[in-house]
Amino acid sequence: MAVQSIFVITDKADALAELCYGARKLADQVTAVVFGDRPAAEKAAACGAQTIFYGPVESCRPEDYCKAIAEEVRKVPSALVLLNNSIRCRCIAGTLGAYLNTAVMTCVNEISPEGGRIVCKRTVYGGSAVRSQVFTGAYGVVTAGNGIFGDIDTVFPAADSIAEIPGKPECAVRLVARNEKKGGGANLAAAKRIVDVGRGLAAQEDLDMCRQLASLLGAELGCSRPVAENNKWMPIANYIGLTGVTVKPDLLFSMGVSGQVQHIAGINKSKVIVAVNKDKSAPIFKNADFGLVGDIYKVIPELIKKLS
Amino acid sequence: MKIITCCKIVPDEQEIQVLPGKELDLTKASWKISQYDLNAIEAAKKLSAEIPSTLTALSIGNSNALEGSKIRKDILSRGPDELSLVIDDTHHFSDSLETAGAIATALKNSDGFDLVLCGTGSGDLYSQEVGVQIGALLGIPTVNNVTNIKVKGNALEVERTLEDEIEILEVSIPAVLSVSSDINVPSVPAMKEIMRAGKKPVHILDIALTDAASSVEQLSQLVPEQQERRMEIIEGDNEEAVESLYQFLRKEIL
Repeated sequence: MAVQSIFVITDKADALAELCYGARKLADQVTAVVFGDRPAAEKAAACGAQTIFYGPVESCRPEDYCKAIAEEVRKVPSALVLLNNSIRCRCIAGTLGAYLNTAVMTCVNEISPEGGRIVCKRTVYGGSAVRSQVFTGAYGVVTAGNGIFGDIDTVFPAADSIAEIPGKPECAVRLVARNEKKGGGANLAAAKRIVDVGRGLAAQEDLDMCRQLASLLGAELGCSRPVAENNKWMPIANYIGLTGVTVKPDLLFSMGVSGQVQHIAGINKSKVIVAVNKDKSAPIFKNADFGLVGDIYKVIPELIKKLS
Repeated sequence: MKIITCCKIVPDEQEIQVLPGKELDLTKASWKISQYDLNAIEAAKKLSAEIPSTLTALSIGNSNALEGSKIRKDILSRGPDELSLVIDDTHHFSDSLETAGAIATALKNSDGFDLVLCGTGSGDLYSQEVGVQIGALLGIPTVNNVTNIKVKGNALEVERTLEDEIEILEVSIPAVLSVSSDINVPSVPAMKEIMRAGKKPVHILDIALTDAASSVEQLSQLVPEQQERRMEIIEGDNEEAVESLYQFLRKEIL
């Protein structure tokens, strides 16, 4: 094993089992930290960790446990801290990193043991390169991209120990209110088919035809960054790319997407990419299995007819 | 309020060349302000329009990135009253803690501040951790992915948008906030501001950064493996072309 101990920290219940499964492949001892009460921790008993710590969050936030978690990590001479790549976990990761005197490698797409070290790969320069790195100190902190450990094929026994985090939470920031987010995005990361809309779309109303196509294909609707961020035609949570969602569907149907390097970094794990764009020199065609150089306003209505 | 906005000068990724060994050649790329830091500068500008503030931009990096007067003017034309620079060629600033440590050192040596603003991540490495780590190193409150900032007396009311909920947080100052890239749309500097930028003060800070080794060792940095694609490309949007597309889809998935 490349490291002796891994601490898995998640704020999303569905990420816990996958990270613990991955951690067990890399280390002998896996400790999970979950946020919630004891019953919630007991539900996660068979996640794969031998030890589970839980931190109640009725009167504080998960971030408030960073000092307490760092204290637990420091009880072992060396360890890797592995988190899911959510906004909250990135905040926890950075804080823990500062306390443990280490940098954070975020959104790592590959973690593998090589010659007694754990090598992490992550994308840099807007998708232009993949950097392989190792931690040089006793501790390291990593946030893992979606699905990097593959499907779970092991059944683990219940954890040996489930206990509340010994240290007390410290609230540096006061939670005034917690509001539900309106118009939450589709679950693109898990979608099997995706219709991916780019700047070739001329007006927001035209999303209707894209939605229709998506529904005929049984696909979720995603978009490129400018469609969400500049035009605000779709929720930010729906934009695909290096800085947005990374997807890996069986089929990605891109319409009017030029194929900037950041966007390609978000779609290149798709099994099949189909592209329609009227610009013959659009980089998307170099990344497509099937490309049609043509006007989406002619192609899509025609295709909808055929699929109906 | 004294606001410091951190901004990183990064190579323009569109101009990065690929060498035969799949390594990158950054030497031909021009330097630009990391795009996400433009949101932090804009957020600072908006706050200073609401309450009287001084706005200082802070950038730390190697001399080849920070020596040019063009890039300095570019930063200053976007709203800051002054620019502080730490020029250091002994560090690579290639891991989040190294960069955060350098910024924290510069902040400790500054005349004080109420608020430090960072972008969501840097355009080159995009760790999205430097703001958080600065806050943790200085032992002051820090929040990431901030989508709105209001001044409420001696504290800030901060909106933070998470994947499935929105938190409203009360943050005491001094604090470090990393703003989301959708907090605002950075404005394009007007000609008047570009002209004024050349007259604004630039301070070269003489600060000794620690010579502690980076906590990360880079083994390689290579162009990603290109996924094999069939690249069956047809031209035209007539009936026949759409039929070929339909047949392809049918074969693949239907």
